[in-house]
Amino acid sequence: MRLTLASPMKPPVPLRNDWVSRVRYHLSRQFAAYLFLLPALLTFALVAWYPITQAIQMSFQDVRLAGESTWVGLKNFELMGKDPALGVIWANALQFAVLSLTMGYGVPIFLAILIREMRNAKGFFRVVYFLPTVVPISIAVIVWRFIFDPDAGFLNSFLKVFGVEAQKWLQDPNLVKPSMVAIMTWAAFGTTTLIYLSSLQEIPTELYEAAELDGAPPLARVRFITLPHLAPIMSLLLILQVMAVVQVFTEPFLLTKGGPGRATLTPVLHIYNRAFLRADIGYASAWSLILVVALMVFSLFYQIINRRLSAD
Amino acid sequence: MDRAILSDIELRTTTGRLYYYGSMAVLLAIAVVVLFPFVYAFTSGLKGSTEIFTSGLQLLPQNPQWENYTTAWNKFEIAKLFFNSFVIVSVGVFLRLSISALAAYGLSRLKPMGGRYLMMLFFITLMIPGIAYLVPLFVTLKDVPILHISLLESYWGLWLPYAASAFAIFVLKNFFDRIPTEILDSARIDGASQLQILLRIVLPLSRSILLILAVLTFMDLWKDYLLPYLVITNPQYQPITVRLFYLADSNHGVNLQMAAAFIALMPPLMIAILLQRFMKTGVTMGSIKG
Repeated sequence: MRLTLASPMKPPVPLRNDWVSRVRYHLSRQFAAYLFLLPALLTFALVAWYPITQAIQMSFQDVRLAGESTWVGLKNFELMGKDPALGVIWANALQFAVLSLTMGYGVPIFLAILIREMRNAKGFFRVVYFLPTVVPISIAVIVWRFIFDPDAGFLNSFLKVFGVEAQKWLQDPNLVKPSMVAIMTWAAFGTTTLIYLSSLQEIPTELYEAAELDGAPPLARVRFITLPHLAPIMSLLLILQVMAVVQVFTEPFLLTKGGPGRATLTPVLHIYNRAFLRADIGYASAWSLILVVALMVFSLFYQIINRRLSAD
Repeated sequence: MDRAILSDIELRTTTGRLYYYGSMAVLLAIAVVVLFPFVYAFTSGLKGSTEIFTSGLQLLPQNPQWENYTTAWNKFEIAKLFFNSFVIVSVGVFLRLSISALAAYGLSRLKPMGGRYLMMLFFITLMIPGIAYLVPLFVTLKDVPILHISLLESYWGLWLPYAASAFAIFVLKNFFDRIPTEILDSARIDGASQLQILLRIVLPLSRSILLILAVLTFMDLWKDYLLPYLVITNPQYQPITVRLFYLADSNHGVNLQMAAAFIALMPPLMIAILLQRFMKTGVTMGSIKG
């Protein structure tokens, strides 16, 4: 070993077996351990642990950025109940979740199975599908906004060939959510496809061989071998997708500012508006708290139901 | 060997071929849709400022205006925006890896008292979505406790949040745990300090995982929008994600917007294509973190 190192005078391990040097050894080791951990502890304290405790505290306060904040008990939560946007926001979140599951949940599973089947060009598809996931969404929406443009956009010109009338994709309250979910799916499905694909590689080919010998047609092999193998990861990715979509912010923020009307006002966008446009920090914190609790309750319920179902 | 659902023999039958080429056709069609925005941005960026509004289905420009790209490059100050993003992201990656490697080594090898509780504290930050404490994080950065300085308008306001990653700590700790103790013990007996062991033995042994984490973090931070939008409001220092959207939103020709967007999309695409090996491992590894 090429170690040109410090003085060999002090042996790192105690030679004498007396307790003084033992204690000293352990203390110095503990000291070293915490010295190594110190940068992480300080950083996490500043940007994670302290803000998390503050998030809870501020939910019960009227927060003043300059001067003292005052405790207001449950007032922020009471105000939330009277917030005229409350129902709309949760309905939007729910619709976004349902839309993204119907439009995007099956796609990566289907594509991963097809890619796994390819004898060559696997790598090509893997890379191509992955590309949208690496580009910043704030840049991609510049392009998407123009594709969706009612007058000059490509989508309307394309649909005109099939006799479809020009649509206002991002301005029509009925179309804006599916349009946005299409962008979100484009931006995210590459990651999930890769995850499914790597799970598919683990299936021993002997299983397919045996099924083939038993006379099971290809679709039956998908039904009885492929899908059961993917089931656990499918269930995990389902909940991760719902959690991610309920927290969507960048797309509605950049494309519509929550509009038209309140059609794309999502929980996080509302939190942003309240905290940074209206300086209503206590109220925004209360919203964040409720959002996180809602997500956690949802994932807990999901896991319980999931376990029940798989136990049957 | 490389069979999946269909065997090689089946592939030679008519139905087998139908399945196979049908699948390939579907995959190719999807690939076209996926790549379309990139191609569209590129060709639209070559169009004239009025042509772009009348071209309809015409993807290719009648008369390619290559100068649009130089105009966009200068008008949107893309070189400066790239530079800002690069500084923010590369220092962020460096800090995250350094802090995480130190902490992971401490947790993995030095057995600190209460290490289990520390791991739980780190783990909590993985469980709670960032939005839960975004607002208080902003308030904290505005007025750092004890020091009472503001990190807003400073890159530290981004670097510190970027540096804290429990995911990186756990991945590195797992990796360090698997390095045989004998190697480290013999270095100890040779008189190496813990820091020397980390720098000269553990980190070189962990090159592969560090590289994967670096690439993954780089791509992740490069995409970030909300935090830099909140922390850096001075246009001179904003990263490309924040500034370019703002500029494209204010009045500039759509053809120039498209050209600028295409230029801005290039670096991440290039990295993804060149480093696809690392990204692939990284993504499948990342799926475990959920």
